[in-house]
Amino acid sequence: MSETEKFDAIIIGAGPAGIACAYTLAKAGKEVLVIERADNPGGKNLTGGRLYTYALEMLEEGLSEEAALERKVTHEQIMILSEGRGTTIDYFDSGFSPYEGPPQSYTVLRARFDEWLAGKAEEVGANIVCGIRVDDVIEEAGKIKGIIAGDDEIYSDIVIAADGVNSFIAQRAGLIPDIPASSVGVGVKEIIQLDTSVIEERFHLQDGEGAARMILGCTEGLHGGGFLYTNIDTISLGLVLMPEEVAAAGKPVAELFQEFKNHPAIYPLIAGGSTVEYGAHLVSEDGYHGLPKKLYREGLLLVGDAAGFVINSGYSIRGIDLAILSGIAAANGICASSDIAKAGPQYIKEMEKLNLLPTLKAASGYRDLLNIPRIYSNYPYLANDFLGNLFTVNGEVAAPMKKSLKALLKKHNISFWQLFKDGLRGYRAL
Amino acid sequence: MARIVACYKWVIDESDIKVNPDLSINLQNSKGKISDYDKNAIEAAVNAAELLEGKPVGLTFGNSKCKASLKDALSRGLEEAYFINSEKADKADGRVTAAALATAIQEMGEVDLVVCAEGASDTYARQTAPRLGACLDLPVISSVNSFTIEGKTLTAIRKLDDCLETVKVELPAIIAVLPEINHPPIPGLKAVMNAGKKKMVEFAEADLKVDLNPKNQVLDLQAYVMERKNIVFADGELTEQVKNLVIALKKEGVI
Repeated sequence: MSETEKFDAIIIGAGPAGIACAYTLAKAGKEVLVIERADNPGGKNLTGGRLYTYALEMLEEGLSEEAALERKVTHEQIMILSEGRGTTIDYFDSGFSPYEGPPQSYTVLRARFDEWLAGKAEEVGANIVCGIRVDDVIEEAGKIKGIIAGDDEIYSDIVIAADGVNSFIAQRAGLIPDIPASSVGVGVKEIIQLDTSVIEERFHLQDGEGAARMILGCTEGLHGGGFLYTNIDTISLGLVLMPEEVAAAGKPVAELFQEFKNHPAIYPLIAGGSTVEYGAHLVSEDGYHGLPKKLYREGLLLVGDAAGFVINSGYSIRGIDLAILSGIAAANGICASSDIAKAGPQYIKEMEKLNLLPTLKAASGYRDLLNIPRIYSNYPYLANDFLGNLFTVNGEVAAPMKKSLKALLKKHNISFWQLFKDGLRGYRAL
Repeated sequence: MARIVACYKWVIDESDIKVNPDLSINLQNSKGKISDYDKNAIEAAVNAAELLEGKPVGLTFGNSKCKASLKDALSRGLEEAYFINSEKADKADGRVTAAALATAIQEMGEVDLVVCAEGASDTYARQTAPRLGACLDLPVISSVNSFTIEGKTLTAIRKLDDCLETVKVELPAIIAVLPEINHPPIPGLKAVMNAGKKKMVEFAEADLKVDLNPKNQVLDLQAYVMERKNIVFADGELTEQVKNLVIALKKEGVI
């Protein structure tokens, strides 16, 4: 490329969204430049740890077979904790794959996965430059024309902001405001190393199988939850909390996390392991409600986390697959538009085609459900108390279950009316 | 046109080195990088090339993974990169490294200045520059803290233990630079993008007709634990504590 030449597309961020976009564009013969701030793709990323394979297959059939993945998820688990106690629901399906092809989902470590995916994009001709921070976009006559990094300006027909949650580029372009604290959670995570055989024993896994676990009631009543994913020889364990509530509670996140790790139902799972990595990151919490009013402007598209594409249903969290889909949709939108000015509206159409926006919309009710404060303390504690009573045998005449439940509701400050309302809200959300 | 060669080493990133409980070294997830001090050498070569109106080129000797370093080196202002690709680099001693680099430099044709770092960030053996001088029959100035070039005369200030020494040499010559000689900038976007388009030359071991078998052989590599005595002098008055400390230090033969 000479100094005056320009790229067909510049993609900011070499995460799943950016790379999926670069891969699709490069395969269609476009000149693509991906700029990544970290020294390696995936270097600045943090994720709970699961990838749904359908998205990778959509990018290229067969890709998930060679992908740098950890364990296929055969155990879907929900864990409800209260002080000193816990209930775990474990759904097992050895061949969990609702469609023809590879297993539905794998646990994943982003440093490995992102680097692998970036390598695939390079193979089909994408240019990936790491260790460079993009400082601004070039705007001329109301259109985005390129990017500025340090002293360098580079022009392109279109810029794709794939720079993650709290997207700096989307802010510079005026598509999103500085995000309010209430719209993001703060996620902390440790990667804990253990022998492969120890992990398989503790989680009852056969060779190559894995568990994905959502954990409720581990946040001392604060809005949030925990997660656990089994990798090949590590466990990803984390907490997501609402920063405002944490601040009000006055307890540092690190302390909450240590208490979580030491819970008697969690500790045996990680005992003897050594923490090989730890990190923290923001997580979009608002799902469909939190999407920017506009996901594009002339010369700029938002994809992945930069666009707020996350679904948190309480029993599972999705982000990487939505990121990949949005990257593909952006690329398809660009390729289908002979006039680049139409790429934005076309991108939205492509997202409809790939079911991305409908999927987000369908899950939009979960936010209301998860905004019920009682979900984080009263209900999990109630559930454990109820089961505790159920299994209690002490030689006394057991109270009828009805009566015991009524007493427990009173103990946990929940009225029947509230229970009914929350139930209705939950029902509506689903 | 004058040619200035920056020699650099591809080393394991020290932050990736893990020590196993049995004190063996775990390099399983380690990545490579250009030795930090060699970034200073590259920057010094680029600066020297400006003074000489010449062409700065990079030269490295490493295993096949080292190929990944070429783009990084080229993004730092070098115009060409030369790479001696041999798995024997892993076991190379100072003699082998210098012999390999010297042969490649001779292959390049005329060279005005060779810039090395004083030592590599992994071994800091300080062998390469002096041995290169012997192989190429060129004068060597080590411990260079700063230098200027006028015509074909290079004047270097050497930082020694207790003094600064100013030395003059007629080019061609070899210099070994200290880390404080400059602050290599982080390469910009265009520099990184253009790096991939620059000339890269690879030498196979067979091309160079040089014996790459080391005379020094590494037999074992192990981490060690610093044993600390953890003695606390808390009893008695302060003067007594100090007295006890001095006695203990004398007993250890420290003072």
